[in-house]
Amino acid sequence: MTAPAVFEAKHYKSELKPIWCPGCGDFGVLQGLYRALSAVGRPPHEVAFISGIGCSSRIPGYTTAYGFNTVHGRSLPIAQGVKLANPDLLVVVAGGDGDGFSIGGGHVAHAVRRNIDLTYLVMDNQVYGLTKGQLSPTSPKGLETVTSPLGSLEDPINPLLYMLAYGAGFVAQATPADMPGMTALIEEAIRYPGFSFVNIQSPCVTFGEEDQQLKAHKTKMKTLASLKHDSSNQLAALDLARAYGTELYTGVFYRNPNPPPTYEALVKLRQAEQSKKARPHHQLLEAYLQK
Amino acid sequence: MTRQPQTPSIDFTALTLKDALDLAILIEEEARDRYEELSAQLVLHRTPGAAAFFSKMVRIEELHRKQLLEERTKAFGDQPSAVRREMIFDIEAPDYDEARAEMTTRQALETALRSEEKAHRFFVEVLSHVQNPEVKKLFEELRDEEVEHQQLVKAELAKLPPGDPLQGVDVGDGPAPQ
Repeated sequence: MTAPAVFEAKHYKSELKPIWCPGCGDFGVLQGLYRALSAVGRPPHEVAFISGIGCSSRIPGYTTAYGFNTVHGRSLPIAQGVKLANPDLLVVVAGGDGDGFSIGGGHVAHAVRRNIDLTYLVMDNQVYGLTKGQLSPTSPKGLETVTSPLGSLEDPINPLLYMLAYGAGFVAQATPADMPGMTALIEEAIRYPGFSFVNIQSPCVTFGEEDQQLKAHKTKMKTLASLKHDSSNQLAALDLARAYGTELYTGVFYRNPNPPPTYEALVKLRQAEQSKKARPHHQLLEAYLQK
Repeated sequence: MTRQPQTPSIDFTALTLKDALDLAILIEEEARDRYEELSAQLVLHRTPGAAAFFSKMVRIEELHRKQLLEERTKAFGDQPSAVRREMIFDIEAPDYDEARAEMTTRQALETALRSEEKAHRFFVEVLSHVQNPEVKKLFEELRDEEVEHQQLVKAELAKLPPGDPLQGVDVGDGPAPQ
């Protein structure tokens, strides 16, 4: 088969039909993802999707790229391994808020501080949907669920502050209520040379609250561009990110204007340095015999 | 060095008739594909009435696409297109959040009606930017067709028995196995 010169969104779509509940926000995210990949233009065989467990973690199966639907909360460590084993791959990590910030929460800091060139897309629906509606790390305080029948007593995690505080070089938020905006953000995150994070408010149509649905997003969302936010200003980003849970800001909160070298680039440099010091192959046996 | 998103948008002021026809074809194609997706979702989630209606919409949108494609081929043969599917977003395609497990046929028809209204608003909006008289004429026709489609859907809605037995009923639907 001859590969097409231009990859269209449909080239990233697999034959497998998504089984999400009709109306789920993840359908829009998937559509945006296909389009963002088409805009980036890397062929499917140069892309790998790594996910954990949850509704949104089904994404690898719905693409024609390489995919690994791994274990709960472990998508980031596995994605880091994949990227280091084959730095030429474009690696996208997908999962939900529970997968990323609860069971997998401990891995986030290390993925960020290593600055491996991964794009982490969290479909934040503020509930455990696949297991039928339990409290998740981003559930709003007071939410009544099967595991919090009288309303939760905990404050939610703030994924945006979390990522900014760990030092992520690219932090954005999107909603499928704004498909062009979300698609452009995913594309920009993929193009960012380093660890990038997009928190996508992707509502759970079955267990989510009315004010978390896309119709509510359409009236509630405010673009950061309309607020004249300077995405190179980390402190301003931190300030705006504090509004998570009350305001729905979309756009790039922070983008490091001078991205530092990625971990894999540093590894390559280290390897090159070490290679210079290494003995030629034909001398290896001599070195062994001398001992 | 970082790069900004590069998906180009459509400049309606400079649109040629060929590109306008291609755009219209893509709009129908997008709607067809979305109805197909929604129909498949509803089959999986045991909602046969609405799924059957969305399948009917697949055939209708495909018919419209073919008619436009014939017109395009007749006028411009296989000249390459300057517009891509990635440049359009849900113009006539129903929004994903319109679908619901166990939605009624009436709700499915109302979804189609909202989609036709959305497409009509699109043509009204872009007509204010179009300068090419041939493109203007095409888009005016398409705008008027959207009104006709709305009337057809409304006529179908009128044939349904009044009321909606499932209106306001919470029919929780969990994810299906795969």
